[in-house]
Amino acid sequence: MDPGRLLHTGSQAPQSLAAHLDNPAPDDSPRAVSRTSEKDPVKTFSEACLMVRKPALELLHYLKNTNFAHPAVRYVLYGEKGTGKTLSLCHVIHFCAKQDWLILHVPDAHLWVKSCRGLLPSTYNKQRLDQPAEASIWLKNFKTTNERFLSQIKVQEKYVWNKRESTEKGSPLGEVVEQGITRVKNATDAVGVVLRELKGQSSLGGFRLLVAVDGVNALWGKTTLKREDKSLVAPEELALVHNLRKMVKNDWHGGTIVLTLSQTGSLFKPRKAYLPQELLGKEGFDALDPFIPILVSNYSPKEFESCIQYYLENSWLQHEKAHTEEGKKELLFLSNANPGQLERLCAHL
Amino acid sequence: MAAATLPAWLALQPAARTLRAFCTAVSPATRSAIPSPRTAGRTSRYERPLRRKALPPRTEKMTVDLDWPSVYPVAAPFKPSAVPLPVRMGYPVKRGVPMAKEGNLELLKIPNFLHLTPVAIKKHCEALKDFCTEWPAALDSDEKCEKHFPIEIDTADYVSAGPSIRNPKARVVTLRVKLSSLNLDDHAKKKLIKLVGERYCKTTDVLTIRTDRCPLKRQNYDYAIYLLTVLYHESWKTEEWEKEKTEADMEEYIWKNSPSEKNILETLLQIKTAEKDLEVNKEELLGTKEVEDYKKCVVSLKNEGDNEETLSQYKESVKKLLKLM
Repeated sequence: MDPGRLLHTGSQAPQSLAAHLDNPAPDDSPRAVSRTSEKDPVKTFSEACLMVRKPALELLHYLKNTNFAHPAVRYVLYGEKGTGKTLSLCHVIHFCAKQDWLILHVPDAHLWVKSCRGLLPSTYNKQRLDQPAEASIWLKNFKTTNERFLSQIKVQEKYVWNKRESTEKGSPLGEVVEQGITRVKNATDAVGVVLRELKGQSSLGGFRLLVAVDGVNALWGKTTLKREDKSLVAPEELALVHNLRKMVKNDWHGGTIVLTLSQTGSLFKPRKAYLPQELLGKEGFDALDPFIPILVSNYSPKEFESCIQYYLENSWLQHEKAHTEEGKKELLFLSNANPGQLERLCAHL
Repeated sequence: MAAATLPAWLALQPAARTLRAFCTAVSPATRSAIPSPRTAGRTSRYERPLRRKALPPRTEKMTVDLDWPSVYPVAAPFKPSAVPLPVRMGYPVKRGVPMAKEGNLELLKIPNFLHLTPVAIKKHCEALKDFCTEWPAALDSDEKCEKHFPIEIDTADYVSAGPSIRNPKARVVTLRVKLSSLNLDDHAKKKLIKLVGERYCKTTDVLTIRTDRCPLKRQNYDYAIYLLTVLYHESWKTEEWEKEKTEADMEEYIWKNSPSEKNILETLLQIKTAEKDLEVNKEELLGTKEVEDYKKCVVSLKNEGDNEETLSQYKESVKKLLKLM
């Protein structure tokens, strides 16, 4: 079985997903599980496995039946903390990658609205603010993910970066990405250009576009960024956020948009909030309407079993009582079948 | 010798009592005559007036079916000998129990309602009946009372033992009325609720106005009625600036002209153009069953908030609308 493609490196969300999934076809028997935590079992297990679970399967089913002439449908994965939304997103990304879609993945939109250094006034639009650091990171990731397409897609307009540099019409998209990576000052604008081009061209049918954003509620929340005069920055004043919002609107066709809501990392939202309206707020909901909400819940008994089995097989659980029935019941009770909680518990055993 | 004299002295007691019953002024001579068999060592005791032996408490003579209002006809302090209940009150010492009722200051301090048992109250009511008029026969159910007398006024009167009969608390007047009994249309009702703010309870549909700003009860009552009248008339009027009511002011979510409607319209139009189906118009699109369904789901989602039910309904309706299976 070939290892899948290397999707991302260096973000807190999924690390290198060299997935060992079989054909992602409907397979209700869950496989092994992977975690996205600082412990990085990827290196420990020297593999990264995903559990095939219902929400992801549902999404894949919809994706297979999409009509690409219709405007892009938005799917929102929501659920309580630690239930597996990010990983379901990764599963979908992997599926699309296998099918040769162009992946536009934002691993955590919350990173763009907090603790950014170096906000610059935008070169393109005076009222907005640039974030060169985040933009360049994202461009690097985008490059690694979609190497193939960068030479295929041609830009449709001329973009002038500054007095000396410009990108001509018809040159490959790779050039724009390079420009953004080398000239960090123009990185945000490069991102904007990339997004605009992709949106325009996916409708032509040359490729299929998957827009995957994790923590999309960051786009409509508040930020913790301040300008030099200590006034708060609203999200729409950030060029990156502005462009991304345009991307998740459904006024283009030829692809899909899969989003996750995330409370961890969100700003000014209570810890227990997990429902779409709570996290998105009125603005976000109106912007994303109509969307298909998909609930990701805790493990079912079967999934729990298989997770424990996986840990036992890889000798992750060292406690003597771990394979007894009693031990399993205790783990089930303590973690309440919550995947995140279970992983943290097993890390101690 | 002391033991021998004691019974003799006790035997003499009844005689001493009867003696005292007849002569009011008990001369020391008579007194000193009685305890003559006593020894001279007990002289200090003679100055003290003779103490009667304590009678058995009244409770021992009480039967179960006695007339309690005659024991406590008025508010009286707690008399442990007159109350047959084994009441205990007080903070117990370690490994002890609360103090008994005899000589218990705590029981004396607190107010008691021993004079207001149900039997006593019944007697009061019987006595007051002569001063009452009959309840109108036509008002035999709650609904009729509400229908004919929708406004309810609550006042309180205070009586206390003291030099003055005035009590500042007596000027408070509370007016309660159900909005359904007032003749209000939709706009008027919303405006009234916005005007009164906290005084309206949504679950019971009751408007409560509590006035105490005037010194007299009658004045407060007039003021409350005046407030109600003013509210009613003002809410029927529509001012110029009410046209600027924004979405943020709306009490509930209205589908018409909402961003949701625009979104769905755009989406549907795009779908239609994709399918090369150009002869559609907006009303037709909005009138289809799926859109109606979607509209209901969005309205319920916005008004009631998220829960599993509303979200799953919304999901189904979006799926049908976008023709996803």
